[in-house]
Amino acid sequence: MAADRLQVDTIVIGGGIAGMQAALDLADQGYRVALVEKNPSVGGKMIGLSKVFPTLDCCSCITTPKMAAVAYHDNIDLLTYSEVQSVSRNEQGFVVQVLKKPRYVIDDACTGCRSCELVCPLDLPDDANEFGRTAHRVIYVPFTTAVPQKALIDIDQCVFCGKCLQACPSDAIDFSQLPAFLEIQARSIILATGYQVTRYDAKKQYGAGKLRNVIDGLMMERLLAPTGPYGRVLRPSDGKQPASIAYVQCAGSRDETLGVPYCSRVCCMYAIKQAMLLSGMLPLADITIYYMDIRTFGKGYEQFYRSAQAMGITFVKGKVARITEDADQNPTVRVELIDDHSQVVERKHDLVVLSVGMLPGGDPQALYGVPTSEDGFVRIPNYNVAPATTTQEGVFATGTAIGPMDIVDSIVTASAAAAEVSAYLQSHYAAGSLTDAERSLIHA
Amino acid sequence: MNVTSKEQARKRTQMLVELRKQHDAQVKQAQERLKEQQTIRKTLQRAMQGAPRSVPQLAAITNLAAYEVLWHIAAMKKYGVVEEAGMDTGGEYYLYELSKEAKG
Ligand SMILES: Cc1cc2nc3c(=O)[nH]c(=O)nc-3n(C[C@H](O)[C@H](O)[C@H](O)COP(=O)(O)OP(=O)(O)OC[C@H]3O[C@@H](n4cnc5c(N)ncnc54)[C@H](O)[C@@H]3O)c2cc1C
Ligand code: SF4
Repeated sequence: MAADRLQVDTIVIGGGIAGMQAALDLADQGYRVALVEKNPSVGGKMIGLSKVFPTLDCCSCITTPKMAAVAYHDNIDLLTYSEVQSVSRNEQGFVVQVLKKPRYVIDDACTGCRSCELVCPLDLPDDANEFGRTAHRVIYVPFTTAVPQKALIDIDQCVFCGKCLQACPSDAIDFSQLPAFLEIQARSIILATGYQVTRYDAKKQYGAGKLRNVIDGLMMERLLAPTGPYGRVLRPSDGKQPASIAYVQCAGSRDETLGVPYCSRVCCMYAIKQAMLLSGMLPLADITIYYMDIRTFGKGYEQFYRSAQAMGITFVKGKVARITEDADQNPTVRVELIDDHSQVVERKHDLVVLSVGMLPGGDPQALYGVPTSEDGFVRIPNYNVAPATTTQEGVFATGTAIGPMDIVDSIVTASAAAAEVSAYLQSHYAAGSLTDAERSLIHA
Repeated sequence: MNVTSKEQARKRTQMLVELRKQHDAQVKQAQERLKEQQTIRKTLQRAMQGAPRSVPQLAAITNLAAYEVLWHIAAMKKYGVVEEAGMDTGGEYYLYELSKEAKG
């Protein structure tokens, strides 16, 4: 458990795949790392995905070992459910104030047995992990593979019935917990704050989020995951197993009206992946992908696209202008068929998935003084030479915090960030600016 | 119950009473939500007692919106109250029944 004051070589902000990889690379080299994650568990978006393109490996199987590794590494202090409040510079680098939100459960005592969750009487929509499609209790462990496996209480919804107190075999529940503050002295900072997706209700023409059977790519990931809200693919309006599913590409990227002119890189590939998984799960379903052009940029990705075509997934070149719904809440897509004399047709489906794009996960200017590029992602002034170095000395950035990218690239840039940070630390320590305490921390 | 555990139980009850007082407005709202949820769950459980039902069937019986029924079913399935029981004859909807534990 972390003390009230910590001294580390690097503080990594964000515990998605990029932040975890950067933290592990540095910790393995003997540097001390603090990893700060705002959610109750590490894992980022990746732990919520079903399978990964282009290998179709189980996402959870790849992510959970890294989540466990950051939690148990001797050189990493993992601070979940925590957020940076302020950052200032001093001679040794940065002083970072971190707020640890109360779980109302004692970390060291809780074993994650879920006895409390099972007796808690009230279900709440699980917005954070399942887009509100199923429930968690007022006291709950976030999800089955969460790291740390510790319960937390949504105190604003609690009726204080005391059932959890009685059920907990470890006396771990503590309603008197308050927010705790921690001061971290760090030589360097890595921003790995990730991305968010374009809001699926952003576009009026696509129903502005009011059509129940129009969902986005991340929601479909959960429907496809065996641990998802229904344990299978059902449409949200009435639980029907969809017989016709359509994807609308570039729904939130390459769209000036939404202020997102860039390509989000991963949406073509994740739509193809999901279509392939759907055709395996629902062999009788019609699956259509409406696209402007398909961008398969990585190694083996074009082959992946060809395999999807061979599996019978229909690719239709056309821009979807509008989505409405009929009386049975079947979404109807109005589309111009570019390869068919540009005729405009309306097609009914059971479920429509918007291939939403990637937006920056946060603005690093206020806390870290790091400027962003025009697209809102962290600006890396010399990307070809130093792909993780920001304009601020000692502050590095990696993964989707610097721009849309897939998991492979997030891991590669994370290792690059670790290498740059290591070189930066070495140059500082070699220059003799190292205190005795700091020196003893390295290669201990 | 020995003397210490009796004393502990008394202290715990006192603490909960205090907490309810401290968070009075919020607790009242949460209690309302709990009452409403318990009523819905009872109605759904009754509707499933005779035979396995699909979400649209449960919606028709209970007068709840189908999407709401689906949320309750997903939650009840997660916490072991409800189980899947095959599909309807049209092959469009899954059927749900009370789990053995819930049937008692
Ligand atoms: C629908 C969909 C499907 C996809 N499928 C695939 C696929 O199959 N294969 C593939 O290669 N890629 C896929 N991707 C892309 C993949 O999700 C990303 O490449 C990858 O998850 C990026 O990881 P990250 O660590 O950069 O960001 P994130 O996963 O977003 O992690 C960032 C972390 O930082 C935390 N954080 C943010 N701000 C703060 C803060 N201020 N303080 C503390 N913590 C903070 C967040 O809570 C989060 O845990 C998909 C993307 C989408 C949208
Ligand atoms: S708080 Fe207690 S009952 Fe709940 S998961 Fe932790 S140890 Fe188990």
